[in-house]
Amino acid sequence: MVYTKRTVWPLIIGIIMVGYAYLVQSGQMAPVIKLLGTSRYAGEMLTLGYAFGGVAVAAGLWHLIAAPRAGHADYYFSSIAGVMFIMLVAFVVKWGLDPLMANWGRDAQPTLGFNFASVMNLNYVVMGILAGIIVVNVFKVPAWAENGVRLSRLGLKTGVILLGALYSFAELAQLGKLSVLLIGVFVLGSVWLVLIIGAQRNLPNSMTGVLSAGVGVCGVSAAVAAAPVVQAKSLEIAYTIGTILLFGVLCMFLFPIVGKSLGMGYIQFGAWAGTGILNSAQVAGAALAFQPGGIETLKVAEIFNITRVLFLPIIVVWLAIWYVRREQAAQRQVQKVDAMQVVISKFPIFVLGFILMFLLSSTGIFAPARHYQGAYFDNSDKMLKRVDKRSGKEINNYLKDSDLATLTKELEKVKREDQRSALQRLIDDKKVVSEADDDTLRGVVNAKILSKEGNAILTRAHRAVRHTAQKIAMFRDLIAWFFTFGLVGLGMQITMSSIRQAGGQPLVIGSIVGVLKAIGSLIVVMLLVTETI
Amino acid sequence: MEDKFDRGSALTIFPSDRHEDLMALVLAFVIAALVYFLV
Repeated sequence: MVYTKRTVWPLIIGIIMVGYAYLVQSGQMAPVIKLLGTSRYAGEMLTLGYAFGGVAVAAGLWHLIAAPRAGHADYYFSSIAGVMFIMLVAFVVKWGLDPLMANWGRDAQPTLGFNFASVMNLNYVVMGILAGIIVVNVFKVPAWAENGVRLSRLGLKTGVILLGALYSFAELAQLGKLSVLLIGVFVLGSVWLVLIIGAQRNLPNSMTGVLSAGVGVCGVSAAVAAAPVVQAKSLEIAYTIGTILLFGVLCMFLFPIVGKSLGMGYIQFGAWAGTGILNSAQVAGAALAFQPGGIETLKVAEIFNITRVLFLPIIVVWLAIWYVRREQAAQRQVQKVDAMQVVISKFPIFVLGFILMFLLSSTGIFAPARHYQGAYFDNSDKMLKRVDKRSGKEINNYLKDSDLATLTKELEKVKREDQRSALQRLIDDKKVVSEADDDTLRGVVNAKILSKEGNAILTRAHRAVRHTAQKIAMFRDLIAWFFTFGLVGLGMQITMSSIRQAGGQPLVIGSIVGVLKAIGSLIVVMLLVTETI
Repeated sequence: MEDKFDRGSALTIFPSDRHEDLMALVLAFVIAALVYFLV
């Protein structure tokens, strides 16, 4: 089979991307960018437009000129066109539809009484997935792009591994404890519940087993991993996947709307989505849909999701024992399956990649290991007194004599002993001496104890010792794009025929347990999880 | 979609999930190396 189709479309996509980047660079898109309020994306419009446009032009020429025979080159090169197709949809949605919808939502607010774009959560993540669903179900994915659309899951997995670079030990330790507790209760609870209801409704043990793994752990991959130990048939796996997909897609759109209407914070929503949504990809979709402008929610949700995946070996062994006992009780012959072998062969090793990336990042190679969300404290001499790489000018961020005189004069105004001592140390050393002092002095600024000039000096001293890690900022941008690519491509794989596979008893049981899990985890998260982590 | 491809599955171009995981691992670490050296 030859996968490279003779078509001009990849070349056209490349020309559109490069042309758009050129128009942005030459300033001709400035009125449109101003109208849509997308000037913050101008940098990535240039970089990504030229980079992906160049690759698409090369792929387009390959599709037009090359006459490949079936083989590796044909198979893998032909996937590039599909990647470019997804990226074009992602660009249109992120740089065009998203800001346009936000503008329309604001404009229509006086008439409608509410901002429909905000209430319906119509941001680039939701619209990207919807665009994918519409493309595949209404127009069909073009034949030349079909091979590349199958790379979207690779994008999501790569994004998850890269995400490991963004966590600090403190964050992971606190979130980890919480996630083990919540996931432990809800994963084991929902697997147990499916097993109970399945037995009561006389579902075949193989069907109940595979459904319990899918509903309890991490969706499709868990169902596939558990299938051999419960000797599930293809049809039973298809039923489970259909149920998970139907429920997962509904959750992906509904969770962010519910989260926003309840005023949930990033950590609360991330914990809820990571616990309550059945399938891994939809967890990422809901988290990014809830907070499209940042990845704090995604970080929390993925910790919960990864904790859930780590429960997979326990569930597989549990189901293997449960299945053998049930079948033996019914006096049926059971084919022996090595559960440990299944665990080893089916365990998703990209999760280990996430842990490896976190460990690598913890050595401090991308930012000091004590960074929090990419920001870190450093008051060393080389950070305060250095030569600016761009301008070549020397930067000296130690406090000047005039600053010290102002602060000394205002020292009397500070009554609290700890604040007074911190300010005295700042005056003595001409810089903030510790992270604790930095926090204390921020308290002085917030309380507006000093004059406007005094507060400005303290803010300057604070900025001199707080730095943003450029590498972490780059990781954030890359991760957001990997997830955007993966989710638009995922939308293109949600076909009505795959959802129609759901039905009958598995759909009823899956829905009952799925709804109980979503509501139960919402209540627990609202009661237990605060935004102080 | 299954019938359209004689390699991989409807969801991935790789022969198995394990292959896809390994490729994601390689890709992520190549990107991490590029970020480390270039940014």
